Amino acid sequence: MKKIHILGIIVIAVAIGVIFTSLQSSASYSDFSEASANPDTEYHVVGKLNKTAPVLYDPKINADECSFMMFDNKGIEKKVILHKSVPQDFEKSEQIVLIGKMQGEEFHADEILMKCPSKYNDGKPQV
Amino acid sequence: MDNSTTYIGEHLWIGYIGNAFIYLSLLSALLSAIGYYFNSKEVLTSEWKNFARINFSIHSFSIVGIASTLFFMLFNHFYEYSYVWQHSNNSMPMEYILSCFWEGQEGSFLLWAFWNTVLGNILRKTIDEKWEAPTMAVFALVQVFLASMLLGIFIGDYKLGTNPFILLRENPEFANLPFVQMPNYLSKLDGRGLNPLLMNYWMTIHPPTLFLGFSSTLVPFAFAIAGLWKKDFTTWQKPALVWTFFSIMILGTGILMGGAWAYEALSFGGFWAWDPVENSSLVPWLVMVGAGHVMIINKNRGGSLFMTHLMAISSFLLVLYSTFLTRSGILGNSSVHAFTDLGMQAQLVIYVLTFVLICVVLLIHDKLIRVSYLMVSFLMLFWGIIHGHKIILLLFWLGISLIITIYSYIKFFPKEEEEEKLYSREFWMFVGSLVFLLSAMVITYFTSIPVLNKLFNLEKAPIKIGDYNRWMIPFTIISLMLIAITQYFKYKKTNPKQFLKHISVSGLAAIIFGLSAVIPLYFLKDYSTANNGVKWDLISYALLFISALFAVFCNLDYWMRMLKGNIRHAGASIAHIGFALILLGALISTSKKQTISQNTSQKNVASLGENFNAKKSLVLTIGDTLPMGNYLVTYTGKERKGIDVFFNMEYFSKNKDGKLSKAFSLNPMVQDNPRMGQASNPDTKHFIGSDIYTHITYADLSDTKTIKADAYKEPTNFIGHMRDTIFADNAIILIDSITTNLTEEQYSKNDSLLIVTAVLKATDINGNIYRATPQYIVKNNMVLPDEFELKELGLKFIFWKINPNEGSIEIQMSEKVSNTKEFVVLEAYMFPFINVLWLGCIIMVIGTIVAILERRRLNRLKTH
Repeated sequence: MKKIHILGIIVIAVAIGVIFTSLQSSASYSDFSEASANPDTEYHVVGKLNKTAPVLYDPKINADECSFMMFDNKGIEKKVILHKSVPQDFEKSEQIVLIGKMQGEEFHADEILMKCPSKYNDGKPQV
Repeated sequence: MDNSTTYIGEHLWIGYIGNAFIYLSLLSALLSAIGYYFNSKEVLTSEWKNFARINFSIHSFSIVGIASTLFFMLFNHFYEYSYVWQHSNNSMPMEYILSCFWEGQEGSFLLWAFWNTVLGNILRKTIDEKWEAPTMAVFALVQVFLASMLLGIFIGDYKLGTNPFILLRENPEFANLPFVQMPNYLSKLDGRGLNPLLMNYWMTIHPPTLFLGFSSTLVPFAFAIAGLWKKDFTTWQKPALVWTFFSIMILGTGILMGGAWAYEALSFGGFWAWDPVENSSLVPWLVMVGAGHVMIINKNRGGSLFMTHLMAISSFLLVLYSTFLTRSGILGNSSVHAFTDLGMQAQLVIYVLTFVLICVVLLIHDKLIRVSYLMVSFLMLFWGIIHGHKIILLLFWLGISLIITIYSYIKFFPKEEEEEKLYSREFWMFVGSLVFLLSAMVITYFTSIPVLNKLFNLEKAPIKIGDYNRWMIPFTIISLMLIAITQYFKYKKTNPKQFLKHISVSGLAAIIFGLSAVIPLYFLKDYSTANNGVKWDLISYALLFISALFAVFCNLDYWMRMLKGNIRHAGASIAHIGFALILLGALISTSKKQTISQNTSQKNVASLGENFNAKKSLVLTIGDTLPMGNYLVTYTGKERKGIDVFFNMEYFSKNKDGKLSKAFSLNPMVQDNPRMGQASNPDTKHFIGSDIYTHITYADLSDTKTIKADAYKEPTNFIGHMRDTIFADNAIILIDSITTNLTEEQYSKNDSLLIVTAVLKATDINGNIYRATPQYIVKNNMVLPDEFELKELGLKFIFWKINPNEGSIEIQMSEKVSNTKEFVVLEAYMFPFINVLWLGCIIMVIGTIVAILERRRLNRLKTH
């Protein structure tokens, strides 16, 4: 066997390894009910902030914790504890993605991604 | 829309000029491509060549024409044009006019097209006659596609490109707004303006460098395509080599500038976040570095023909693919700075696939297969347009193309007779290039998760920064080892003993210095307490550290001993040292990044996992001084300049005799951006050994001085049980006990007056305890309002409700405005040895320039 063939086999093995492990391990977008079913697994939950419920953040008590209510894409509402300071312009968010796990009735997130309507395209010509 | 409205003050003529230039540029690029195609087919050679050249000149002129027109419009605030209105305004300083130019998609396509014409013209002037036609045909064809991106015309229902000269009132987004009905709308109109986040010098220098980098990948691509086309797989490589290293240098600089921008001005908390936009410029660079190295093998020893073509072609195709990723809107939520979707998804896909098709077609030497492949491709395209099933067809087509590529490689491509020796430079250089290609593929795969989701209907989430790092570290270690040892091999054959002797000094030095650095860095404290996953991370850091040192020492040694310190030949060694230093700096500053802001909250959430327990937010009240790392920090106040609010943080350090002295001050900023919302800009103090990085995560931006200090704030309601605590800004209040004036028996008999007293104990910051006794009074079944004011602390309590079933009481508390001192929440990090990274960047760029100059000198010497 030529050395080039051995290299080829290694390349293919790495490629298969990457695809396989990423399919096995990487988290999926999901919803609260699936996260409740597997409390120790990390999920990316997509949803909307319930803007009628208050966003609680008191830095004097804990600057790394805020809590709010969120509807997931199936419309289920859960309390979310975000272990971070409250994101800037949180109330304006259009869609949020939480990364974390469910514990009891609360979803604990350590990371948040927000989509704001104003992000790149807003403002209308006004005269 | 009322067609009869005559609008006042519009400059329609300039839009006509701009559009004329767009059509002219498209037409002339097309004609030039056709001309060069026939010239290359050797039909009526000189006529076609002249025709093609003239058209390429016309094309270059019209691209400059489009750009100048757009500049003129921006400069004169012609807000009747949508692009001008969207990206500039009256109050914008003129130095940002360049930034406005390339802020939008249309402008950045134009910038790209501009660089392509610049490089195309240089190439045309310097290239060997033999290669002019095929390479320039590729250039012109790419320009056809880029110019079509600026068209903005409708073909049926489909909009082709987005036009930079569309009128504001014709922009479908704004078509129903009232201003469209007003003939004099221009007299009062101001533009939306450049996004204030982008108003800094990075926005002036980063995009042109990066786009020049993207453009530069076109030259090796054009050469490789020309090689396939003319079935001359070797002679193009020598002239292309200089261009390949130019591309490595420029694209590398562009990427690193992006990293520096992210670190200096954005709040990522680092210089690299594996954002899809960052990845999609890194990947073509990795492949281009691989291409450069296999081309060197080919130059010195011949062979590696398939890899040179594959890599030179892939780099450009990956630039196209990244254009698709970042501009089609497909990334959606997974990127912070992708462009918004302008409805060009299909066009971008076609653009990428056309060039894949061209490559595959050129690989096929058999006429029958070629024609059938083309036929099948077009049939599938039409089927997809008419009947749908686009995704299945696309996957099927990609499968066919891959099979044909492999078949053609086996069947038609020239292969080396002789196998490379294990102890030869070419073998290890080849392995190194393969490692680069493979790591590029892995990054592409992970970045493409949103695309895979769409293709296969999956719901996979993008992977996290830490996972990217974990995947890339093994590749990095292998490439650093190869960078270290490969120069010590000779081409064809090396004496193994001599080789080992040569690398032994550096190897020993790397192990000694490496171990003495890594052990205290990663093993003394962190290792014993870490869990298994983290232990592996620490071991991989240590290996990376040692291999980076090995690479630096080996290349330094090679330069000094083998090349005798000669700088001309040392381009490779210098660039390798730079590359290793970049990785070393990245490793230390990331793995030893220290959170110096400490959250003092007692709450422990470690059970949820490590990420959850990152207590990194520090609350800093105005005037207070808190310890942070080796410093004490005071927040002294804020100042608003326009939309920017600056927070002044004073850092003090302790002298030997224990006295405090001011070390420096930092002014992190929060931009109160009317378009983008609040955006936090960090401020960093640079030392030689480390950086102190501070950034505000939460702050009140309003001017607090205007509110009267004596007033009370709106009350807040608390539902509490016995022994519960209520937090006020200046005290902690304990519900100590509840007493009544009547026993239960008395109450049932006597309904005249019931007084329930809540005894509250308020402890202030100094530990003084105050008693508050708000009363719940019921007279004749009516609750009488009663307020208790605790004057010493500026607190008011109303005890207004008892919930007998829950056993709880409800108390409203209001606090004096002056109780609440202004505060900020901040995160601060110490990045150790990040300057090693920046130093490495500079050294790598210098090394690459030295290599380019030397190559050019050698090429000249040979031709004369």
